[in-house]
Amino acid sequence: MEPGFHILEHPADVGIEATGVDLQDAFRQAALGMVSVIVDPLTISPSVTKEIIIDGIDAENLLVRWLSEILFLYDGEDFLVGEIRFDEFAPTLLKALVKGEPVSQVKHLLRTDVKAVTYHQVHVSQNAEGATVRVFLDI
Amino acid sequence: MSALQKLDEYRYLVPKGFRDGMRIEGLIFASADLIHAIENDQTLMQVANVATLPGLVGRSLAMPDAHQGYGFAIGGVAAADVRNGVVSAGGVGFDINCGVRLLRSDFRRSDVSPKLDVLLNQMFRDIPCGTGKKGLIAGLSYEELDRVLEQGARWAVEKGYGREEDLDHIEEGGCLRHADSNSVSRRAKERGRDQLGTLGSGNHFAEVQYVTDVFDQEAAGGFRLFKDQIVILIHTGSRGLGHQVCTDYLETMQHAMKKYNIAIVDRQLACVPIQSPEGQNYLNAMAAAANFAFANRQMITHWIREACERVLGRGNLDVVYDVCHNIAKEETHRIGGAERRVLVHRKGATRAFPKNRPEVPSDYRAIGQPVLIPGSMGTCSYVLVGTERAMEETFGSSCHGAGRAKSRHAAKKDMSADDLVEELRERGIHVRGASKSGLTEENPRAYKDVSAVVEVVHNAGLARKVAKLVPIGVIKG
Repeated sequence: MEPGFHILEHPADVGIEATGVDLQDAFRQAALGMVSVIVDPLTISPSVTKEIIIDGIDAENLLVRWLSEILFLYDGEDFLVGEIRFDEFAPTLLKALVKGEPVSQVKHLLRTDVKAVTYHQVHVSQNAEGATVRVFLDI
Repeated sequence: MSALQKLDEYRYLVPKGFRDGMRIEGLIFASADLIHAIENDQTLMQVANVATLPGLVGRSLAMPDAHQGYGFAIGGVAAADVRNGVVSAGGVGFDINCGVRLLRSDFRRSDVSPKLDVLLNQMFRDIPCGTGKKGLIAGLSYEELDRVLEQGARWAVEKGYGREEDLDHIEEGGCLRHADSNSVSRRAKERGRDQLGTLGSGNHFAEVQYVTDVFDQEAAGGFRLFKDQIVILIHTGSRGLGHQVCTDYLETMQHAMKKYNIAIVDRQLACVPIQSPEGQNYLNAMAAAANFAFANRQMITHWIREACERVLGRGNLDVVYDVCHNIAKEETHRIGGAERRVLVHRKGATRAFPKNRPEVPSDYRAIGQPVLIPGSMGTCSYVLVGTERAMEETFGSSCHGAGRAKSRHAAKKDMSADDLVEELRERGIHVRGASKSGLTEENPRAYKDVSAVVEVVHNAGLARKVAKLVPIGVIKG
């Protein structure tokens, strides 16, 4: 499956459907998709590295917590994630190295604030062709 | 599966057979037109899903502006018995105490119109708004933030934002006393610390409006509103702090549910018994987030007064009232002939208490509680007053606004920001927006018709129309 993401229609908020060659890839695309809602991703330089470790109760929970972490880095620590690489990716655990930089109102073309990552119609699936994840964001 | 039953012109029953596991019925307030929109998204199923939760009393309710949300519909109300019922973070929503405050002036429209652009520019300069915008209080310490969380609007007044008498005209006096800053995560505080005193983005705004119609002379007089009067409406919530509190507790509740043997039909309905450590911690954290929002609206009030002072020569605006739209409150209601203590979840719904209630400010007690209904940008807003009927049918609740009809994506395609600004200007409404997409997503056509929503609430007897307000200037993030 082609790695990528697209935005889904919803009455109040924003959905992301992300695909990848495998689940790890889809998780990466989902995070990049969420970042693209917040900011123009082309304006992010990958100058600072941070580590993220998440464990979840199941795949959907892992996805929501993963994206919530990326959101927190932005909204709580003023850090925008531009690049993502996974060191470990298991059904309920992930370890990632993310690269990005501190938010600058001048440099970064900020778009929309995201309030939270929700479980609304959350979906994680994979097969021989690849993986797809879907998640809705409260904005 | 049983179908929706029309009870009368404004009431539709969701019978227990609508889906498996419903413990109570559902009740939707809507007109023949509005019910179609409600039937076309997940709202009905969400009202029915909520009815499966343990310990709920009365009915699972939806207001005429209801649209699908996360677990609970936005525009939904549900009450749980405090002894054996559950609390659900999703029943309050991510933006805890998103709410509305109305300020009144002694200006008429003609006093302000010549200086409107200058006033809007001043307000836009003075009120931080927009995506990623930080507050003006640099380096608010965690200790000080804890005081905000515990004291709410009172904290702001003591710091010089506004007046003591403002507090009388805020729901709960601007402070939910059971707030506990220890129940709020460090993460939530990190998000909130820089955002105190900001408007936010999305559908948050401040509007300069004037009173176009007075429907109830006595109530309007009691609220000191008059035709052609300039008023200012503020719509904002608890910012990243509230959003994180909800996120944190949805996670906590998901994990805790197993030990309480609670099974739910939708993951977003994650809940715990009210009388559990997790339940109490959530309610105390929710209260803290609500207090953050009250403090936020208090600070914005102060800046608006200063802007008016500077531009118009006088800034003595009074607070008409300040209401929560997303909150859970412990209240006493009469159910089945007996008084019961319940936790009322209002998600996109406003408390609408009638006259003679102790919770209503003393100078309004002979009239009832003001109910503030903001329309979407550039449409109109309403002031209503709560009624006894609302106490009987909806746990003293009413709608909260217009509700969205179109996705943000579709709204953006509708028209460009420049066209929208021009169209609004032709109607006499000046806009200051922090971003173009922020404007077009909030295109009024993306929302249900607030007047139609308010007509239902009025005709169903839940709240009585007092005044209609039309904007002349909008500040948006």
